[in-house]
Amino acid sequence: MSEQSKRSGVSRRKFIITTGAAGAAGIAGCSSSSESGNGNGNGDSGNGDGTSDTSNTASTDDGSDGNGGGGPEALTAEGSSTVYPISNTGASYWNGNPPASDGEYWGSNDETSVPGWDQIGTDMNLADYFASQYGFEPTGERSNAPFTATVGLSHSGTGCKAVRDGLVDIGNSSGPITAELGISESERDENYVDHVVGRDGQPVFVSQDVYDGGVTQLTGEQIRGIYQGEINNWSEVGGPDQEIYVIGRAEGSGTDTSFRLNMLGDAEASMEVDTRKGQNQQVKTVMQQNDGAIGYMALAFQGEGIQPVAIDFDGTVYEPDKDAENTIFDSSYPLNRDLHMYTRITDDTPDGTDMREAAFLNMFLTDFGQQVFVEGVEYIPLPTKDIEAEREKLPSSS
Amino acid sequence: MNLLPRRRAVHWIVLAREFLDETSASALLALTVGTVSLLSSLGLFLNASPLTSVPLLVFLASITYGWVRHRELTARAVTMAMTASTILILALIVVFIFVEAWPVFDVARAEVFGISVPGLRLFTQAEWAPRSAERYSLLPLIHGTVMVTVVATLVAGPLGVASALFVSEIAPPTVREVVKPGIEILAGIPSIVYGFIGFTIISPWASEQFDLVGQGTYLFVGAVVGLMALPTVVSVAEDALNSVPESMKDGSLALGTTDWQTMTTITLPAAFSGVSAAVLLGVGRAIGETMAATVMLRNSPQLPEPLYNVFYGYDTLTSAIAAQYGEATGNQLSALFAAGVVLFITVMFLSIGSQLIERRMKRQLGGQE
Repeated sequence: MSEQSKRSGVSRRKFIITTGAAGAAGIAGCSSSSESGNGNGNGDSGNGDGTSDTSNTASTDDGSDGNGGGGPEALTAEGSSTVYPISNTGASYWNGNPPASDGEYWGSNDETSVPGWDQIGTDMNLADYFASQYGFEPTGERSNAPFTATVGLSHSGTGCKAVRDGLVDIGNSSGPITAELGISESERDENYVDHVVGRDGQPVFVSQDVYDGGVTQLTGEQIRGIYQGEINNWSEVGGPDQEIYVIGRAEGSGTDTSFRLNMLGDAEASMEVDTRKGQNQQVKTVMQQNDGAIGYMALAFQGEGIQPVAIDFDGTVYEPDKDAENTIFDSSYPLNRDLHMYTRITDDTPDGTDMREAAFLNMFLTDFGQQVFVEGVEYIPLPTKDIEAEREKLPSSS
Repeated sequence: MNLLPRRRAVHWIVLAREFLDETSASALLALTVGTVSLLSSLGLFLNASPLTSVPLLVFLASITYGWVRHRELTARAVTMAMTASTILILALIVVFIFVEAWPVFDVARAEVFGISVPGLRLFTQAEWAPRSAERYSLLPLIHGTVMVTVVATLVAGPLGVASALFVSEIAPPTVREVVKPGIEILAGIPSIVYGFIGFTIISPWASEQFDLVGQGTYLFVGAVVGLMALPTVVSVAEDALNSVPESMKDGSLALGTTDWQTMTTITLPAAFSGVSAAVLLGVGRAIGETMAATVMLRNSPQLPEPLYNVFYGYDTLTSAIAAQYGEATGNQLSALFAAGVVLFITVMFLSIGSQLIERRMKRQLGGQE
C-alpha cells in the first residue's frame, strides 16, 4: 500500500478523488444552505409564525418538503424574451421592496410620485402592499420582500414547458400555450390559467438607408409580398434600387407564428426569408449592421439605425407615433398580440393561481403596474375592461 | 458439442470460488452492498424517484468503508464501475437521440422499389418548412456542414501542416518554445469569441465588400472555423512529425540530401498517416463547431444558388440545432434530433478513421525503436 501511494500515478488519482469528493460536498453544502437560508431569512424578519397558514398553502404547490421553517418559497418565472422586460422589471421592483416614501419606484414624496399612485395610497412598502393582500406578513424592510421573485430568460416554448413540468411557478410566453405545447384548448383550460399582462405590437422596422430612401409607409399587402418572396427590390415599393434583406424570426417561435397569422393571414403561411434570428436583440443588431434590411421585433427594442414604418391595413394607417390618430400602440393594430404569464392548475391550487403568484401578478394589473412595467418598457397597456377580466382570474384578495 | 463453453463456465466458477475464498467476509459484504446500492440508485434515478439519494449514500458509505479497510479491492471495483458508467452513459445518449429522432423518420418515409424507407425524404427533397408545410429536410443542413468543413479544411490543412513542419523541423529551439505554447493558447479561446468577432466585424465587412444581400457566408464561417481547428491540426501533426525516428532522417542526411529534401522525401511521407489523422481531427472539430457557425450564419435552412456559392451561408447541422432548439416542438424537434443522429454517425466514422490511421502509423514505425 505504501509502495503504491509513493507512485505519482496513484497519488494523482487520489488527489482527483479527494477534490471530487470535496466538490460534491461543496455542492451539497450550497444547496442545503440555500434552502435553509430561505427559511431563516424570513424567520428573522418575524413573519414565520404570523403567516404560517397562508405560507403553507402557498408553498405546497410543488409538494416541496424542505420548508419546515414556514417562510414562503421564492417565486420563479421563466420564458419568452419578449415578456422578460415586463416580468423582470416587475421582479426587480418587487425584490427591492421600496418604501412608500421613495417616490421614484414606489409611493410619493414632496417632489414626485409614481404613476397610478392615486389609486393605491398606502404607507406599506411595494411588495408588502401587494403580498399583504394575499395574506403574507409585511416585512417593512427595503430589499427584503415577503418572498423573492426571480425571472429566467429563455424562449416562449421553454417557459411553457417549464411551467408544465412544475419547474417554475409562472411561464412567460409571447404566443398562446396551445401553439407552444401543441395542446388543445380544453387541455389548456384544464391545466393552465392564462394571465395576460400586456400587449405587444410587432412594428415592422426597416434599416435607416431604406427609410431615408423614402420607404416610411408600407401596406399590409406589400409586407406580405416581401416576406413571401414576391417583392425583392426596394424600388418596387418606392424605395432605393436595392435588394431587400428579409429578416425573420426563429421558426416555431411565438413571434414567428403570430407574424404569419396576423400579417400573412395563416399560422402556416409559407415564407421566404434570408435570415432567421431567435432573439429581438439579434434582429436589431443584424438590421443595424446591414443595408436594405426589413424585420419585425418587439417595440421595446427600437434603437439607432433602424426605423419603424407606418402600415396601411385596408385603408387605416397605423403610425409609429403615440400621438397619431391610429397608432401601432392601439389594441386594434392587427399585429398586436397578448403577452401571457401562465400558471398551472395543481391539486393544491384548483384555481390555478396560488397566493404568491396572485400577489405578484396582481401588481401588473394595477394602473401603477401597467404604466411602469408595461408602458415603461414600450409595450401596450391593457384597456380597463381587460384588466378587470384578468383580475377575475386571481383568487379573491383579503 | 457444447463442451468448450461448459469448460469455460467451469473455469469461471473455479475463479469465482477462489475469489470468494481469498476475500474476507467484510470486504465481500462491502462489495455486495456497494454493487446493489449503486444499481438500485441507477434504477431509482431512471424512474426519477426522489429516493435516489438514499442508495447513493449507502453506496458512498460502503466505498468509504472499503477504501479504509480493503483499499485494493475497492479501487478495482470503483474503477470498473466508473468505466462501466461511461459506457452506459454513451449507450443511453445514443439510444435517446435515436428514439427522439424516430418520429420524423417515420413521417418522412419514401418508397424505393415498393419498399417504404423511413427517413428517406429527409435526404431527397430540399425544403425546410416546419410551419407552413411540415416539411423537413436535412439536405440544406448537410450541404452547409460540408461547405463549412471544406473551407475550414482548406484553411486549417495547409496552414496547420506547414506550421507543424516549421515548429518540428525548421524552427530553432527558442522559437519553438515560444510558438508551441502560443498555438496551444489559441486552442483555449472559446468559440463564441471567434463567433462574436465574425458576427460584428467580418460578416458586415464581407457583406459590404462583396455587395451581398445581408450577412452570413459559408466562406468566412469556414475560414473562422478553420482558424479554430488550426491548433488541433498543428499539435497532432507536430507529434506525428516528431515521432519519425531520428535514425531515418540521419540516414537520409548521411546520403548527402539537404534538410528540405529530407523533410519532403523522408519525414513527411513517413509521418503521412499521422499528419492525415491530424487533418481528420481538425475536420472533426470543424463539423462539430456550433457557436461560431450559429452566430455568423443566417439560420434559415436552404440551398444557395449555385450549390457551390460560398458567399451565402444559411445553416449547418449544428447551428440548426442551436438556433431552433428553444422554439421547436413535435416533429421539428425530432428533425433536430435527426440532425444530431447524422452528426453522431459522421463524427463516429471520422474518429474511427483517424484511429485506424494512427494504428497504421504505429505499425509502420513502431518496430524501429
